[in-house]
Amino acid sequence: MRPSLRLELAAALAVGILLAAVPLLIPGNITLLNLGILTFLYVAQGVAWNILGGFAGYVSFGYAAFFGLGAYTTALLWLAGWSPVLTYPVAGLVAAAFSLLVGAPTLRLIGPYFSIATIGVGEAMRILMLNLDKITGGASGLNLPTIVPSKTWFYFVALICAAIAYAVAAWIRGARFGLGLTALRLDLEAAESLGVRTTLFKNLAHIVSAALVGACGGVYATYLQYVHPDTVFSFTHSISLVLIALIGGLGTVWGPVLGAAVFFVVQDYLQTSYPSFHLLVYGLLLLLIILFEPGGMAGLAGRLVARVSHASTGSPAAAPAPHAEHGGAPMPRTETERPGTKRTT
Amino acid sequence: MFTTQNLVSVAIAALLTAGLYAVMSYGLAIIYGVMKVINVSNAGFLMLGAFMTLMYSQWWHLDPVAGAVLNLLPFFGAGWLVYKLLVRRVVNSRSARPIASLLLLFALWLVIQNVALAIWGSEDQSIITAYTYKSLIVGGFRLPLTRLIVFAVALLALSLLHFVLGHTYIGKALRATVQDPQAALLVGIDTERISALAFGLGTALAGFAGGLLTLLFSFTPDFGGPFQLKSFTIIVLGGLENFAGVTVGAAILALAESFAVLFMRASLQNVIAYGLLVVALIVMPGGVAQLWSRIRS
Repeated sequence: MRPSLRLELAAALAVGILLAAVPLLIPGNITLLNLGILTFLYVAQGVAWNILGGFAGYVSFGYAAFFGLGAYTTALLWLAGWSPVLTYPVAGLVAAAFSLLVGAPTLRLIGPYFSIATIGVGEAMRILMLNLDKITGGASGLNLPTIVPSKTWFYFVALICAAIAYAVAAWIRGARFGLGLTALRLDLEAAESLGVRTTLFKNLAHIVSAALVGACGGVYATYLQYVHPDTVFSFTHSISLVLIALIGGLGTVWGPVLGAAVFFVVQDYLQTSYPSFHLLVYGLLLLLIILFEPGGMAGLAGRLVARVSHASTGSPAAAPAPHAEHGGAPMPRTETERPGTKRTT
Repeated sequence: MFTTQNLVSVAIAALLTAGLYAVMSYGLAIIYGVMKVINVSNAGFLMLGAFMTLMYSQWWHLDPVAGAVLNLLPFFGAGWLVYKLLVRRVVNSRSARPIASLLLLFALWLVIQNVALAIWGSEDQSIITAYTYKSLIVGGFRLPLTRLIVFAVALLALSLLHFVLGHTYIGKALRATVQDPQAALLVGIDTERISALAFGLGTALAGFAGGLLTLLFSFTPDFGGPFQLKSFTIIVLGGLENFAGVTVGAAILALAESFAVLFMRASLQNVIAYGLLVVALIVMPGGVAQLWSRIRS
């Protein structure tokens, strides 16, 4: 294992333990627990999204579909008498199955066209769910049983979700699967010609990340005890995941963690002005990031680290830049601009 | 329900809407054609166009059609600026990823949408004019006056555009750049200026369409989204670099939407557009134009 990866994992473990200790040190703080739960769920989803969006380079604006499906799966199973915890994996499975269904055709599209298609799929799901009111409760949503575990329980469950997502992403990053994803992002045809099974890898990445997001949806449903198509299937939710990963740092594992944490703090802090003010801030941040620092915060941090170690050693920057090589920096694209499908025979 | 009378009136209503759809999507087609950039901020400017027209009618009692025309110049300028300051940086460098321009314009849309929310709030707005509720009876069919006017204005705009693109130097230079940017450079066309112009023109059309929209729909800062997707569906259906295809695509979408309402709930109407979009992207990315050339060959 690369030394930098080992360092990264050690740091992640330390942070995880620290976070787990919080409710034990400051028990009963509802605001803190709530913030923690929602942040961890967003961290998990951001990291998961990044597997397809950052590693493989397929930016999807439709992940709310998986979140919502997971939420509703849990909701319906719970109402049918299942224990909530048992529903989480099922929620993940349902989301994964759906992702295979929509992913197989749409992942054949290149870059921007895939992204646009995902907007369509995501929004279509929301409208469909809104209209299937016999099943989903339509415009009034579904109210769920009120006998729920404590907030502290949810805190740990959410933390575990984030930890699992992080572990999966980190593992992928270090394995050949991850290398394959990076390869197909840099140049699909070259990767194919070198024997990387791009179609398989793309779809696998899609399924894995969708499953994680779906499971988070399930947790969310049980936490809120209420599901409604306009919240769990919302385009805003999809956008949030894109923003978290982009601003945090595409293609790194811990970038979205940072992105989610900041996103949530910003959202919470600005909630008072008006509901979606944080989106304005994030929109501006995204503008700046695309123009000046495509690697996001992780890229920025990487550069700072390189600067600092350059300054201290006084020699050309030989600092470990563990995230720099895939920091989402613009890469030459050799494929033609033709829209539509990429032929991968 | 499926009487000839009914079907024909649905078809007419669809065609009237198609005119507006075409104008709204033309800007997107021009920008895509010239620089292969999908301008997702088009919806934002559409919405701004609607809101500015609202302001004109509140400040000066200006008719929405006049307001739409008034929008042309400032929106052209805005588009020009957006190109010069933002888009140019992510489009021309050889290492630019195509997704970068999409994300940049997406960020711009987010900003525009939220600024609008901050200024105008999220209530439904609409403009009522003297003729909002009037309709004309033509050949036994009742046609709302607003739709007729919008269609007429849209047709005029499209004809003007067609003339400009076909018979002026700028228009021909634009089409040349669409066909082959490098060849255009070789014959002495300043493609940089054409790109800026194209972006300005596309944005101007968006603002113009937004103004016209106020006659037909009520609007909030959020309403750009479905229209954005519809515009994209239209240009894909028409063939991405085919300007004439925009009108065909608009007609197809409008007809599909209107006839679908006969079979399903009205609230599901947008799903038609989204479904068509995904299907078109996957099955016929070259749009109707591709189908047509395949038939001919």
